[in-house]
Amino acid sequence: MSQEQREAATLAAGAHEAPIQTDALIIGAGPVGLFQVFQLGLQEIQAHVIDSLPHAGGQCAELYPDKPIYDIPALPLCTGRELVERLLQQIRPFGAQFHFGQHVSTLRRETDGRFFVETDKGKRFLATTVFIAGGVGAFLPRTLKVDGMAQFEGSQLFYGVDDAARFAGKHLVIVGGEDAAVDWALKFASEGPQRAASVTLLHRRDALQAAPESLARLRALCEAGQMQFMVGQITGYEASGEARLGGIKVTGIDAVTRVLPLDALLVLLGLSPKLGPVADWGLALERKQLVVNTEAFSTNVPGIFAVGDINTYPGKKKLILSGFHECTLAAFGAAAIVYPELGKVPLQYTTTSPRLHKLLGVQTPAAE
Amino acid sequence: MTHVVSESCIRCKYTDCVDVCPVDCFREGPNMLVIDPDECIDCAVCIPECPVNAIYAEEDLPADQLAFIKINADLARDPSWKSITKRKPALPDAEEWKDKTGKVSELVR
Repeated sequence: MSQEQREAATLAAGAHEAPIQTDALIIGAGPVGLFQVFQLGLQEIQAHVIDSLPHAGGQCAELYPDKPIYDIPALPLCTGRELVERLLQQIRPFGAQFHFGQHVSTLRRETDGRFFVETDKGKRFLATTVFIAGGVGAFLPRTLKVDGMAQFEGSQLFYGVDDAARFAGKHLVIVGGEDAAVDWALKFASEGPQRAASVTLLHRRDALQAAPESLARLRALCEAGQMQFMVGQITGYEASGEARLGGIKVTGIDAVTRVLPLDALLVLLGLSPKLGPVADWGLALERKQLVVNTEAFSTNVPGIFAVGDINTYPGKKKLILSGFHECTLAAFGAAAIVYPELGKVPLQYTTTSPRLHKLLGVQTPAAE
Repeated sequence: MTHVVSESCIRCKYTDCVDVCPVDCFREGPNMLVIDPDECIDCAVCIPECPVNAIYAEEDLPADQLAFIKINADLARDPSWKSITKRKPALPDAEEWKDKTGKVSELVR
């Protein structure tokens, strides 16, 4: 089966599965999306969470995992990665289900008032409330900027390794200059079932940014003639036969263009955020950010909330701690929708409420 | 508030920033890029991408670069400055110009 056929089959299989029904669906697993899980949990609302990355953390994980953050209340200093780890620990009692590695392509209101949400991987949801915690957008792989190359995507051009066996025995060119590109180049050039027929690592600069031990191994493999490293930019391609990629044209720093024959091209240029389809969901926008009220951080569509960097309101500050406040009030807003019989949603404290203690899975302290 | 491309970009135009902008707010002139202040959402993702540290939040601009707030705003509105959304090779003599200061007079509008 070709990649396209496989994808079509997956999509068709997804279409037969009933959509997942949930009281709350959170789009984005950054710090604010994660704390949204916590606040919804205190309101007895269980959530599903979708994120385009293969893991939680959003910008904290992708843009500044090792940078220190100083303005999280009661945490004088933590890194992006530590903040995410702590949040994951904090939300554990609430059993949110995560759907990683996919981004939302469709969001629309159904006739019964619920929201139909579908991801690019064909996963479908029917949600009573939706929380858009999308930050600066979905982190998607940076693509090659060469006209005509897109036609080979999925057959010979790949932006990630979902199946290492695919590249075994192939003449493989890997594009990129950071850890991911270097590590995969080493893997495909080394002994093992995944070993490629040949491996060329191509980067536009002479400097690679990867762990020192990886770079040392790369140097050793290159010297042993088991792989090669090339500096240059892809400026075109050569087709071979019908719709097959025969080789890429690489312009070197000497301004000479050479053809590099290949079977498969693996492009690992990192990720960049794209706001993408958020603009197509019929929600009020201001400068590409979702306009919300400050009572519940609801968008103009009741039931859809927007929290964190993706929203805007008078006085908005793009701070993680502001996002925490926003998702707290949004959870109260959602409780009024999910449990309309409640009337006014009561405010309870985690210090004193036996109900919240039960939800958190902790003992209520004995009366003094 | 917005983000601003400062003098360092002139005669270099590395365009790494363009690739990461979630809202495609960069505009391209002959030898510099600018940010459209009406489009920028202040996400700050572009700042660490620039190899010559040309991009600042408006509030963080060094005092001698404040003129670039207006330069960015004016040029973003200039119809000959077009939206750029894909990275491309830097100007051929970028390496030579990247560490120079006092490049304002080199700006081609």
